[in-house]
Amino acid sequence: MFESFGYFMQGMATACQPLNLLFAFCGCLIGTLVGVLPGIGPISGVAILIPICATVTSGLPADQAATSSIILLCGVYYGAMYGGSTTSILINTPGENSSVCTCIDGYQMAKQGRGGPALAICAIGSFVAGIISVIGLLLFAQPLANVALKFGPMALFSMMVLGLTALSGLGSKSMYKSLMMTAVGLILATVGVDPISGVARLTFGNYELYSGIEFLTLAVGMFALGEVFKTILTRDYAEGEVIKVGRVLPTKQDLKDCAPTILRCSIYGFFQGMIPGCGASLTSFMAYAMEKKICKNRENFGKGAIEGVAAPETANNAASGGAMIPLLTLGIPGTGTTAVLMGALIMFNITPGPLLFQEKPDIVWGLIASMLIGNFMLLVLNLPMVKVFAKIIETPAHYLVPCIAAISVFGVYAVQLSVFNLAFMLATGVLGYYLPKHGYPIAPCVLSLILGSMMENNLRRAMNLYNGDVLMLVKDPLSLFFLVAAVLWITVPQILKRRGKDVVVEDT
Amino acid sequence: MKKLFAIALALVLVLSLAVCAQAEYKQKNVTIIAASGAGGGLDTAARSVAKILNSEGLYTAAMTVENRPGGGQVTGTVEFVNKYGKDDYALLVVSTPFILNHIKADGNSPIGPEEVYPVAELQSDYGIIAVLADSPYDTLTELTDAIKADPDNVQFCGGGGPGTWDHLNAMQVAHAAGVDVQTVKYNTYDGGGEALTALLGGHADAMTSDVSSIKQYLKAGSVKVLGVSSAERLLDDEIMKDVPTYTEQGINVVTSNWRGIFMNKDASDEAKAFWNETIGKLCATEAYNTELKNFGMQNTYKNAEDFMAYLKTEEENYRAVYETLGLRLK
Repeated sequence: MFESFGYFMQGMATACQPLNLLFAFCGCLIGTLVGVLPGIGPISGVAILIPICATVTSGLPADQAATSSIILLCGVYYGAMYGGSTTSILINTPGENSSVCTCIDGYQMAKQGRGGPALAICAIGSFVAGIISVIGLLLFAQPLANVALKFGPMALFSMMVLGLTALSGLGSKSMYKSLMMTAVGLILATVGVDPISGVARLTFGNYELYSGIEFLTLAVGMFALGEVFKTILTRDYAEGEVIKVGRVLPTKQDLKDCAPTILRCSIYGFFQGMIPGCGASLTSFMAYAMEKKICKNRENFGKGAIEGVAAPETANNAASGGAMIPLLTLGIPGTGTTAVLMGALIMFNITPGPLLFQEKPDIVWGLIASMLIGNFMLLVLNLPMVKVFAKIIETPAHYLVPCIAAISVFGVYAVQLSVFNLAFMLATGVLGYYLPKHGYPIAPCVLSLILGSMMENNLRRAMNLYNGDVLMLVKDPLSLFFLVAAVLWITVPQILKRRGKDVVVEDT
Repeated sequence: MKKLFAIALALVLVLSLAVCAQAEYKQKNVTIIAASGAGGGLDTAARSVAKILNSEGLYTAAMTVENRPGGGQVTGTVEFVNKYGKDDYALLVVSTPFILNHIKADGNSPIGPEEVYPVAELQSDYGIIAVLADSPYDTLTELTDAIKADPDNVQFCGGGGPGTWDHLNAMQVAHAAGVDVQTVKYNTYDGGGEALTALLGGHADAMTSDVSSIKQYLKAGSVKVLGVSSAERLLDDEIMKDVPTYTEQGINVVTSNWRGIFMNKDASDEAKAFWNETIGKLCATEAYNTELKNFGMQNTYKNAEDFMAYLKTEEENYRAVYETLGLRLK
């Protein structure tokens, strides 16, 4: 471990060279701009920049070029993640799947004129999560690598059941309505080519549907267009009242309130991120759902609680730190981002895998140090920019609404290049207006679309593994643990309520 | 005179138009679709093509590799044909399953060799059967005997669904060893990377994969490779040279997984000609061959014409394999 620490300090020294700091700055700036557009999320942002990066650094010696490029790419990644949360908060448009939960409280905060603190807490939470993941990597990288592998198909399935259970309480007063929307999302997740047998399902012979229903199309349609339709139809804008931007930075009280949330979510996110195959999205949903249960300010979740913004953003950042463990120690990319980073490493002739820690410790720790630098740069860069971004919400509705609609169409078309998806987005936009109006929350639908296919694959693998013996789900200790947690998640609040305890329960 | 001048001018215009029509292929940003998740052999192939084309100066604009996993390459292939209609700046990297999906009944891919333009075969990769380093099985015979004794005891994992190349690699071995292939337990994962996660985590007993995906894990000592699908041992490979072939162990199977690069059949002729030539140059570079050697792959470059013919024979061969194994054909 002391050896690791030495390498880490060396990595920090490399990352802090003026040229590398400049790279980190440029990366964060480009990333933030890229992330603000829906459609171009962190993964595509980083992927697009990899070749450009190689050109820019081509004059440098090989090792230095690798380090500098990776610093730039990490910057782009964190910038884009941050940019994604910016649109979630300001215009209710999640740019990528891990920022869906940020919409719920973030957009409410923005509507109350607290967009500034919401944006700032994202940067602060991410930074703290970054520091905690680096500490986690220093301490646990090697001992925990193999533990993460113990999560087999059954445990992953049960973990996602727990995730869905937790989600079912989101954004609605009625648990039944939430569960119905969860089921709709799960059905939508089965559309497309079945990943296990390759059979086309619910595609009606339409090849556009072979790759399934794209998360982005549904999320942008339901969240952003739904909000656009709502503004137009309910004449929100007619009152002529423009939301004032209040304070830009969070108050001391805000920071104090968020501190326990940020700490819990950092630690939780790091460990969850380590498990290959569950991704940053599940982690951020679970963190939000967990905080909704245990946070002091839980009554205000869904109505603009700053903790509700801090939780998913912190956790998803911590998860990308945790995901470095299987990547660097086993060569297994656990999330989309680590897959892209792996691509970048391969480009510089560094093959992540079991030998990387022994063979190229300087690169490994340089990469870890650059994650930290990326987060720090983001904080420096974005706290002043928060003020500018937060002004967006002051734009009168008759300018803002058409802009949101245009950005949504542009974003979805840019990624899918298909008119079919635009039509689909419009249709979901109509649903995104009517469903919440009648108390059917849209977040569980979008989230279960993301989790559905992962859940299905894992269940089918587990069944195949144990000859269709469903009881194995409770015989496997890890799986049993998650299933029990899921049951408790639903029943405990109900029991407490029956006993007349003062708890927040989703009414039925 | 004026008339003559007008005619001359018209001629010049027409000629310049003709020149324009035959315009050269301009080097602009290219998207390479790898029809699998990140981290597997197919993804690595696509990424090394992009890397070496740039580093050798054969292609100067940016090349972006995008992963499209799912459906054993059907998702990526169908999406490629739909999304990039006549795009001159989109390439597809797929492997043997491209043919398999087209001939099998379940999860049939509407896209066959006729629906795309096969630019070139890039490389081929031999199959392997691997187990964990502390596994009780040391030879293929021990493994297949264990399946014969109790099929429920041995769980295979692989990066592709039933009827894909990974699956066939295991099933052909089992069949040749006299095992009833219908009893073999097999679990599908999204790509070789995820399958390997399952093997290392003890969620499977044996894994079907290829040399390039397993090599570094063999070097690190975390797996044992029981056999390789080449005709002769890979003696010039430091890490693989001690691994016996299937045939050495009395299992009469020799097979390999090709990877190729494709364009849309409606792409312009300039684009087709350009990529045909450029990939040819690429496959002759030292950098490319060094890379293949590092990964443990074979350079089996074929140009567009030969590749098309090869795809046709592959289709015939695999129809026969499917029939032998009792899998359903379209």
